[in-house]
Amino acid sequence: MASKKETPEKPYKTGLPRLMELTKIKKGLCLISVVLSALAALASFIPYYSIYKIIALIIQNYPEIRDTDLMLRYGLLALGGTFLNIVLYFGALAVSHVAAYGTLYQLKLDFASHIVKLPIGFHIREGSGKLRKIMDENIEQLEGFIAHDLPDMVAAMVAPVTAIVILFVIDWRFGLVTFAAIIVSFVLQGMANGGQKTSDLMNVYQDALEDMSNASVEYVRGISVVKAFNQTVFSFKRLHDSIQKYTDSVIPYTLSNENAMAVLTAALNNMYLFLIPMGIYAGRHAADYRSFLTDFLFYLLFVPAIAAILMKVVYVMVNSMNTANVIERMDMVLAEKPLTEESGSAAPKDYEIRFDNVTFSYDKDDKKALDHISFTIPAHQITAIVGPSGGGKSTIANLIPRFYDVDEGSITIGGTDIRRIATKDLMDMVSFVFQDNFLFKQSILDNIRMGRPGASEEEVIAAAKAAQCHDFIMSLPDGYRTVFGQSGVKFSGGEIQRVAIARAILKDAPILVLDEATAFADPENEFLIQKALSRLMADKTVIMIAHRLSTVTNADRILVVENGRIAEQGRHEELRAKNGKYSELWAHYTQALSWKMERGDA
Amino acid sequence: MLNLKKMFHLSDRGYRELKKGIAACTLTNITMMIPVFISVQIFIELIKPLMNETVSWKKIWILAAIGLAGAIGIFFASKNDYRKTFVNSYLEASDMRIRIAEIIRELPMHVFNSKNLTELTSNMMQDCAVIEHTLSHVLPPLVANIISVTLICIAFAFFDWRMALALFITLPLSLIIILVSRRRQDRLSREKVDAKLRASEQTQEYIEGIKIIKSCFLNADKFSALKNALDEMRRVSIKMEVGAGVLLSGAQFVLQAGIALTVYAGVTLFSGGTLSLPTLVISLMIAVRVYGPIITTLTLLPEVFHMQVCSERVMELSDIAKMEGSKEMEIRQYDIAFENVSFGYQQGKEVLHGLNFQIPEGKITALVGPSGSGKSTVAKLISRFWDPTSGTIRIGGTDLRSVDPEHLTDYVTVVFQDVILFNDTVFNNIKIGNMNATDEEVMRAAKLACCDEFVSKMPDGYQTLLGENGNTVSGGERQRISIARALLKNAPIVILDEATASLDPENEVLIQDAISGLTRNKTVLVIAHRLRTVTNVDQIIVMEDGRVAESGTHDALIAKHGLYEKLYSIQQQTAGWNIGTQTN
Repeated sequence: MASKKETPEKPYKTGLPRLMELTKIKKGLCLISVVLSALAALASFIPYYSIYKIIALIIQNYPEIRDTDLMLRYGLLALGGTFLNIVLYFGALAVSHVAAYGTLYQLKLDFASHIVKLPIGFHIREGSGKLRKIMDENIEQLEGFIAHDLPDMVAAMVAPVTAIVILFVIDWRFGLVTFAAIIVSFVLQGMANGGQKTSDLMNVYQDALEDMSNASVEYVRGISVVKAFNQTVFSFKRLHDSIQKYTDSVIPYTLSNENAMAVLTAALNNMYLFLIPMGIYAGRHAADYRSFLTDFLFYLLFVPAIAAILMKVVYVMVNSMNTANVIERMDMVLAEKPLTEESGSAAPKDYEIRFDNVTFSYDKDDKKALDHISFTIPAHQITAIVGPSGGGKSTIANLIPRFYDVDEGSITIGGTDIRRIATKDLMDMVSFVFQDNFLFKQSILDNIRMGRPGASEEEVIAAAKAAQCHDFIMSLPDGYRTVFGQSGVKFSGGEIQRVAIARAILKDAPILVLDEATAFADPENEFLIQKALSRLMADKTVIMIAHRLSTVTNADRILVVENGRIAEQGRHEELRAKNGKYSELWAHYTQALSWKMERGDA
Repeated sequence: MLNLKKMFHLSDRGYRELKKGIAACTLTNITMMIPVFISVQIFIELIKPLMNETVSWKKIWILAAIGLAGAIGIFFASKNDYRKTFVNSYLEASDMRIRIAEIIRELPMHVFNSKNLTELTSNMMQDCAVIEHTLSHVLPPLVANIISVTLICIAFAFFDWRMALALFITLPLSLIIILVSRRRQDRLSREKVDAKLRASEQTQEYIEGIKIIKSCFLNADKFSALKNALDEMRRVSIKMEVGAGVLLSGAQFVLQAGIALTVYAGVTLFSGGTLSLPTLVISLMIAVRVYGPIITTLTLLPEVFHMQVCSERVMELSDIAKMEGSKEMEIRQYDIAFENVSFGYQQGKEVLHGLNFQIPEGKITALVGPSGSGKSTVAKLISRFWDPTSGTIRIGGTDLRSVDPEHLTDYVTVVFQDVILFNDTVFNNIKIGNMNATDEEVMRAAKLACCDEFVSKMPDGYQTLLGENGNTVSGGERQRISIARALLKNAPIVILDEATASLDPENEVLIQDAISGLTRNKTVLVIAHRLRTVTNVDQIIVMEDGRVAESGTHDALIAKHGLYEKLYSIQQQTAGWNIGTQTN
């Protein structure tokens, strides 16, 4: 079959092989569950066998009735077989569920660990909805495979094989016919299958599902805005479209299996039809009619039992195909390369940061955010970066912790290329206070402690005091144990900011990056934040991205960044004297300072 | 009779289609009886020699031919039920998703502060997926099985009631086991849903806080909140599954004890001479086959219970009281009055205490005060995100409670501190302000809000797509987009909630111009933290601890030597701060 699309080499296994690979995470448990399940399947034949035996006894002696005690004992055997089947199968499922949830747990942790290692650019590109869906839903689907499909699949393979062997042993002719019936069923099913078309449709459907997930996250996030503008129809329409698209893709995908499923249901449930001609032939030529009758009865009873198990095989296969496809979404993310980390991490000799001819763009076809930029940030000094928005200031801040890697050139700390410093060491070296601070829905204590996970409570409190947030934390209902985001507890922007500063103080890294850190401050907070920052910056190598120029007039050095290049650099007075870009910014700034809210037409 | 429609909150169409699906499945089940019937008939024919009759091979051929026709019947019947159940369930789930989206759309604003995003989206996505699955894979075969088993039972009872009793007596017993354990299952099911929700929430937070997690070098192993939530989910899931498994296995065993019972009754009656050979054989053949479908039914029951939990959760949303109000109410004057207004986000925790003030039409009023004094709450009450606990807010003399919240937004524009952008073009993000605006109007608003400067640097200008929540746009740029929206909307009342907070020096001037444009001839309420920007406004209201501390013009307030003067002087000091200054 000539495939239209060229399938690129994938760095990971797909389909059933990949699913089997994943069962290795809980190999022992999976093995136990599979064995139990196979035994259960064998036990499930016992009632059939018992009933066969009873009818055989009757046929052998009819019209005389003998051996009723033996018949009743076979009745008990049937009961015992049922019991055995249920207990074994329950055991198989209990074990398989432990294995399944253990596997999910492990995979989710691995996935979460992996995405942390990816560049921030990846997160911005993919969106939180998609990643969340992979963790919440895609990985979750593996539960079905490990807990149910795998044991069922093995049972469904072991049982028919055993059954067919038995069938051949009793009468090879009937055995052969049954075998032929099974083959014919699956051939018919294969013919009715959608094949490539089905798997294409499945991809479309999976994409649509993801799209719908993203759209709903956005819908809920944006609802306050659209309500404020009375435009709920706008965002509603987007969601509506994505729901529609999903429905429009899931239906054709499902229907593409329609014929195959119907054929198989019909074929497997009617395998007995194959037996009839053979039965007529054998019956007419039977030397011992009673023993023919017993054997034939056996097949009439047994063949439907096999059909029920084989039907399971198909469901398992369809499910596994689905699961494998869903898991591939996870693998695609896992295949994303984390930032390279060279072994044999080199330790920088001091904390001077150099940008050497650095070029970087967020997107390959995008304009360059930084364009062959070179500068030095001396150790233990305060370097301010100013300039118009979109000029590249924040990009500089993002490159130092390797949220992205440079396209060209290099960044060194103390003479060592940051790509050669182990991530952990690099992170230990740098702390940040961002513009958009984020507190987790955990206790304030834990939020601050993230700066240095091993820190004692006293150290956390000391950091909070230095960050001027101790007082307001103590005024919260549960003090440091208050959980952020819990209903009834509201934090102002300035308060969040100070908690973030406490985090950085606790971390006490030698390099400090402040990205517009005083942005969200209200009057009395501002004073406190300034106090907190002063404590934080003492003796550090500081990179301060600032828009309020008054705050940086005393910096040891000011870099003016515009269009991804350094426009000028120097101290405040020097730059003012130059009458260049900085002077222009300064003029803007002082003009802005004198602005007042008043009647626009006044 | 069970009311499925009510149980699962189905739409009229969904219920109608579900009934069709059930009918289709029942039909399939009935066609599936043909092989059993034919097998039995053939066997009865074959045992005739034992009763000294001769076998009619021709009759067997005819039976085989009927069987073949039956096989074709099964093909069409299962094709039919496949189509009916699946297509319907997807359509119904689609409707339900849209219905939830509609419900969310109508929820009062405050819900979005108290419920979290994850829960709402999870509602929409996962619960619907469960409902979808149940409607396609569970409910129709379940009901169909119940119907067909009942039919077989009744038919067989006419044939030989003693054997029918032996065959089916265990069924009610096993059903009792399942139903009695229902309460426990419900609790576990809820527990699992909750654990799942918590894990989802942690996941969402983990992904959103990824920058901090990266910079603190906390990978998943060290981020204990996520780890614990996942671990809890593992624990609860296993508990639920194993618990359900024990009960289900018990019920299965009780049910299948029917085989032994049938053997016992059959053999006893047969040897006692009151049961014929064919009846015995038929009973035994049915005994080995009839329990399979019933077990399937029992296995599916817990899933139905689970679906019920999910659909109830969906419905809880629609039970949240909507804010009422007239959509026609016309407001002609735009002065805002707070009359003895008190309010608390939670019962017993009042944050505003008996506020009284006037915001005059066509004037600029500033709201200042320490953080947590209730400024933003005042803004939210004017936009009717909440209603006051007591007292009245009026615009132009009209009580806000009598105006439909969405209709009210025609009169009030709020420029928030945090701007939410959509994964759409810059142009469309601005157009949200007024979907009826022409392209020219959108561009004019964008220009006025000084968006041109940064938009022109984007690869596709105004047609550039912003990422999820406009991740690629800086704080100042977001702010300008939001001002452009407000300009486009052109509502008579403008509320600025600390709108100039995060701007670059160059931008700040531009934004200030934009704001001046926005507020021209409007009734303006500005929540300000930089007091210097509001010294020229018509009225300043100073708030402290949810009360009005003082009000008046800048000069009057300075002369008073009160809270305002204190705040103002602190700010004068901090304005002189810079990174070299020692603050201690």
